[in-house]
Amino acid sequence: MSNVQSDVDKSPASDGPFQGPHWSPLQHIDKLELGSHTLDSLDELLAEVSVMSIPVAMRAEILSSGLNVALHRWPKVTVEPLNLPKSPGMLPTWKPTRQKITTFGLQFPEGISLLAKSKVDENKDSKTSEISPLGGPAMEIMPDYQPPTVASLVDSLAEPPKKKQITRIKPPDDALSIEERLFYLLQPPLQSWLAGQEMIMPFEPFSYQYEGIGWLFSKSSALLADEMGLGKTMQTITAIRLLIRSGQARRILLVCPKPLLPNWQREFQTWAEELPFVVVEGDGERRKLTWTMPGVPVLIVNYESMVRDFAAFAEGEFPKFDLIVLDEAQRIKNRTSRTAVTARALPRRRSWALTGTPIENRPEELGALYEFLEVVPPNATPDLRQLQALAKQFILRRTKNLVMKDMPPRLDRDAYLELLPSQKTAYDMAEKEGVVQLNDMGDSITVQHVFELVLRLKQITNFDPLTGESAKLDRLEADMEEIASSGGKAILFSQWTKVIDWLAKPMAKYGALVYHGGVPTKQREPILTRFKEDPNAHILLMSYGTGAVGLNLQFAGYVFLFDRWWNPAVEDQAINRAHRIGCKSQVIVTRFISKDTIEERIDKVLTEKRELFAAILGDGDDTNVSLSMNAAEIFGLFDLKARHGKGTRAIGPKPAA
Amino acid sequence: MSHGNHDQFRLGFLTAVEDAERGFVGGLLITNRFGRPLEFQCTAPVKPNRTQEILYGPTLKPYVLCELIGRTLLEKVGVKPQLVLVESLDLLDLRGAISAPVASLIRVENPSRKRSSDQAENRQSEQDLPNTIKLGNETIAFNPAHDEDRSEIQKFAKHVPVDADLCEPFERIREALVETIRLSMSRSA
Repeated sequence: MSNVQSDVDKSPASDGPFQGPHWSPLQHIDKLELGSHTLDSLDELLAEVSVMSIPVAMRAEILSSGLNVALHRWPKVTVEPLNLPKSPGMLPTWKPTRQKITTFGLQFPEGISLLAKSKVDENKDSKTSEISPLGGPAMEIMPDYQPPTVASLVDSLAEPPKKKQITRIKPPDDALSIEERLFYLLQPPLQSWLAGQEMIMPFEPFSYQYEGIGWLFSKSSALLADEMGLGKTMQTITAIRLLIRSGQARRILLVCPKPLLPNWQREFQTWAEELPFVVVEGDGERRKLTWTMPGVPVLIVNYESMVRDFAAFAEGEFPKFDLIVLDEAQRIKNRTSRTAVTARALPRRRSWALTGTPIENRPEELGALYEFLEVVPPNATPDLRQLQALAKQFILRRTKNLVMKDMPPRLDRDAYLELLPSQKTAYDMAEKEGVVQLNDMGDSITVQHVFELVLRLKQITNFDPLTGESAKLDRLEADMEEIASSGGKAILFSQWTKVIDWLAKPMAKYGALVYHGGVPTKQREPILTRFKEDPNAHILLMSYGTGAVGLNLQFAGYVFLFDRWWNPAVEDQAINRAHRIGCKSQVIVTRFISKDTIEERIDKVLTEKRELFAAILGDGDDTNVSLSMNAAEIFGLFDLKARHGKGTRAIGPKPAA
Repeated sequence: MSHGNHDQFRLGFLTAVEDAERGFVGGLLITNRFGRPLEFQCTAPVKPNRTQEILYGPTLKPYVLCELIGRTLLEKVGVKPQLVLVESLDLLDLRGAISAPVASLIRVENPSRKRSSDQAENRQSEQDLPNTIKLGNETIAFNPAHDEDRSEIQKFAKHVPVDADLCEPFERIREALVETIRLSMSRSA
């Protein structure tokens, strides 16, 4: 320790500011060895510690070192050695510790695992009963499966492999809890789930069916409204299987109209052969026993039994279900009916409704279905905008046009035809007389009376009963000439067998064949075979009633609707005989509509209804199935008025709200 | 009716997603041999601090995924897997911390090249890695320090369908983790 003295007057700092840095450059510090006496004078010391004042801070003549230049005495400087380490080093103060991690977990409920029936016992083809080496049963081979040829295999090697389609289950919009959302997100893709390892699928579903299955699986409230024939039954049964497998449901009730009971039993056997089901039937005691029978995953009951048996149970004693499915759910469209009230009262966790006709007449009918689905309050009457919003969330509806994109197009063309003169005279006279008669009947008029007039007028639009003149026949002959010359085949539909028989004669030159209810059943199949195989048979004349359902006539490229059916769904069914899976080329559909007649008025009403329902159920839905005309609409085809005092008043039921 | 889900062979799929702000979020999905879920566990975001980043350097990610996330999740999970699958060879060290075999999927850079059936090349790559086994539609590598795992995994392999897509469950986990992050963010907002 030492004291160093210097002459303060000689400090350069006293010469004024800005004469040098107020800090010591590093090279100068090298000279200043702490703890030794290497500084020669106070000048040097001052030069080192404070050679100038800081421009602002030093105006009071205080040096940056803290020395006050006003003091004319020697400052005391004390130097103390510090015990610094001789070489650089680190202290081992850090060691890895395992961080505590917060976790979140979700256990999946244990589902019921059901064993498929042994196929060996059923003497089925050994190929379909083989169990894969992995222990899981293999998917059944499709009956129409054709083994690939060597050429196709070689071709497939050259082609890039097709991307495997994946259908993932999405969490429903109303699932808010993280557990619920993760439950759905973590389910495997449906394609791998249904690959036949755990569940036998007799046929691979179409992609839209996978989507429907996944949608149903994730929904507590769902209205599956696919167009008839798209597989609502299969999608429902498969979704039920998945719910049972994943532990989401253990007890399910399916309610359907009585005539459909055998159909559902057959479908369950086909699509879920491992799933035990029991039909609630027999006398009251037996039915009660069935309702409470434990260990049965699926109960099937018809609407009538459901209503009767629910009433037979004391309040609160009716068994609870994880899921209730209503087939043909339009049965509950009248929300005050006993069926609807009972259906809503059934204790359940999930509610599904199936129908191809979510709206039959009025959009309000959807309200009754929504009430069953428990997505609107009791007696709610949602407006059009609300119905649309609810439909987006709770209704899944696909039409053939939407899902069968690979099918050749169906080209619809409406042929508006002027009646021929004698037809026109007969028509006007019949209409005038008919309306007068109806008006005279006043309030005793019924829809049946109006209906009879409509039928009479429609017949005249087909042909004049007196002269046999027909604008439609003229047009048909012109079209058929072209079709026959190009080797094409056409199907013609009419609602009257009389019209079909009448057409058979002029159409004989095109090899016309007749197929309607009057043809004995045994003769029907050979007629269809001949139509398919005989190159000279260019037209098949069919009635809607006999020919509209269940026939595969996809080799016909033309369909004529000679007269219009009341319900477009039936017309669509008829058209779908030709326009169906397997058809190779486009199908041209011609609807004959006589101008300024009842046919045009009916067409207008049905078109308006289609448009209204499409607005609710979404674009692309051009095949609302049951759009048949109600009584008010049939009355509305004519301007019917009864005498009322001096004037007149409209008669007939009030149009639906 | 027969046995339920839980008495069969159980596979664990372990992976994580990285969020730039929040760090790593790990997920472990336990499935049966057909890929049906039995249990899922995930972590809160794990963000290494600056010290860990400096000290672990390039080994930080395996450290976080193995030591912090993997080990924690496997300790927490109730349905214990008989085989844990991961997506990176770096994570095979997890084997040291748990009793079940750990195996990693061996990814091929260009899947179409793999599909173009250059079998010889695939065989070669398997020869290069002697600790590999075929499981489902994938080749997996186990920890070479645990050679006893080979026989153990081979024992399980026969329970897994040959066409089982072992990559797919990782996609499910990632989707679930993203959903978890999304929901927690929207709730904290």
